[in-house]
This record gives sequence, structure tokens and C-alpha cells, in this order.
Amino acid sequence: MDSDKRFRELIDRSFTGEISERERQLIQAHIRDCDDCKHYIELTARTIRGLREFAFAAGLESHVRVRDILAHHTATMRQHNVRLKVRSAFVLTLSMSLVGSLIACWGARLLAVHTHFGIAQVQAGVLVFWLLPSVCAALSTLVAPGENRGIA
Amino acid sequence: MALSSTAEAEDARIARGLRESDLELLTSLVERYQHRLVRYLVYLTGRRDYADDLAQETWIRVLQRGSAYNGRQRFDPWLFAIARNLAIDYLRQKGKGGQNASLSNDRDAVLQPSSGPSPFEAAARSEDAIRLADRLQVLSPLHREALLLRFQEDLSLHEIAKVVGAPVTTVSSRIYRGLSELRSAFEEK
Repeated sequence: MDSDKRFRELIDRSFTGEISERERQLIQAHIRDCDDCKHYIELTARTIRGLREFAFAAGLESHVRVRDILAHHTATMRQHNVRLKVRSAFVLTLSMSLVGSLIACWGARLLAVHTHFGIAQVQAGVLVFWLLPSVCAALSTLVAPGENRGIA
Repeated sequence: MALSSTAEAEDARIARGLRESDLELLTSLVERYQHRLVRYLVYLTGRRDYADDLAQETWIRVLQRGSAYNGRQRFDPWLFAIARNLAIDYLRQKGKGGQNASLSNDRDAVLQPSSGPSPFEAAARSEDAIRLADRLQVLSPLHREALLLRFQEDLSLHEIAKVVGAPVTTVSSRIYRGLSELRSAFEEK
């Protein structure tokens, strides 16, 4: 009886592919003389076969619905990504323009010492010829349509 | 060896496509896996009406979290793991935050079956399957799930363990217990 119990555990394991070749041979040798265990194997095999005979067909309309939902989500995600890229480009351009203006202002001040321009004139020049155009460039990334932003 | 390298290349292609939110690839994945996904969700919830909604949610999650799939493991266990997490959340919500509708070993803890024939009765395609259908309906979802993943999805015990987040020994014992419950459908007659 104990031996049968042990063999049934081994048989169970054989159906999940957890036994060695030697254990498989042991089972084969045992069922030659043991009808109960042979019957047990047949019942288990029949149960597993039965489990494979269920068919859960997913209807065509369910495929179509999922496809439509995915298309909608993909488009939404793309729009979101474009918006994110535009904002990042704006922040980057704006910070570059500010940093650039500071550097230009500092350089112009140094140069102004050797020229006849006053500091106020140099600052006005930086404002008109550097800072304003670069801020406008940053703003233009926000207002241009997606395909013209060069980053979408 | 050639087969396995083809499968690896395929998984890598899926990972690349998911990272790029490639709609064409997603559509082909839906074609390929939708019926298996629905079947898995029916086994998990015991309800056909929930399975379709959950399958839909699963695909949206695949799209949103696609970059998390690295292509180094098979795609189907990853897909089932996502579906499983969603199903657990869904069952919890249906149980209004209580324990009575979550996945558990307790066979009373599953959702109330819907009226009409059970999804297993409706899907049975042979005499033996019809005899198993009643048993499957009352079997615990965890045992049903383990049996499905092993004998219909042909996942290894390690892959099942990853999907269900349990040790391999627990997975094997769920399979043996499930088989033993179902075998009795044939023993009585």
C-alpha cells in the first residue's frame, strides 16, 4: 500500500515532467504487475486530455474592439509624448537663451572698456540682438504646429 | 536549438515593438494571444463575462507598460502575469475590498457563478470535457490556474511559479491537488 502511494506520487510527478529517466523506468516496471497504478495512470492521462478539450473562442468583435481601443490609446500616448517633447524643448531653449545672454552681456562689458560704447548701450545691444530673438525662438517651439517643430 | 533561437529572436522583436508602441505589432499580438488570454481569465475568474473586459484591460496595460518587457523571457508568461494582477484587483473590487472575492485556496472565495451554463460547460468539446466542466467550476481558481498553465499553455513549473508568484513546490502541489479533484469525475462512474 505504502509502495502504491509512493508510486502514485511518482506518477503525478511524471505528468509534470519532474522525474528522471530511471524513475520513469521504475514506474514502467511497477505497472506491469500493478493494475491499480496502471488504472491511475490511465485516469490521469484521460483527465489531462479532457482538460485540453475546452475551446474558449474569442469572438471577432472582441478582436476588433481591442484593436480600436489600442489604436486610440496609441494615438493619445503619441500626442502626450509630443507635448512632453515640446515643453522640454521650450525649457531647454529658454535656459540656453538666458545663459547665452548672460555670457554675451559679460563679454560685451569686457569689450566695452576698449570701445567708445557705454555699458547701457552694450546691455541694450545684448537685449535687442541676443535675448529677444532667443526668447522668441523658444516661444516659437510652443506655437508651431507639431510637424513644423522639428522635434515631433 | 534553431527553434529556440527563432523564439528568442521573436521575443526580442516583440520587446522592441512594445518599446516603440508599435500598433501593428500589438494588433498581431492580439490576433495571436487573445483567445489564450480569454481562456486564462475564464479559468482564473470562473466567469466568461468578466474575461473579455479583463482581456481588454490587459492589452491596454501591455501598451502602457510595454517597455518593461525585456524580451529575455517568453512573452506569454509575462502577458499572463499582467492579466493575473488585473484579475486580482478586479476581483477585490467586486468583493468591495473584502476577502470574499479574491483568489484563494478556499473554493467558496470565488465569485458567484453567473446564471445559465458555466463557461466550462459552454466550452466543453468532448464527453470527457463535459464531465470535467462541473468539477472545474467548483475547483479553486488557484488550482484551475495551475492546471491550465501546465497542461494547456505548456508552461514549465518555473514559468508558472513566476506568473503566480509562488514557489515551484507550491505550484506542483496545486497541480496534483487539482488533478486529484478532477480525476474523481471519472472514478465515480
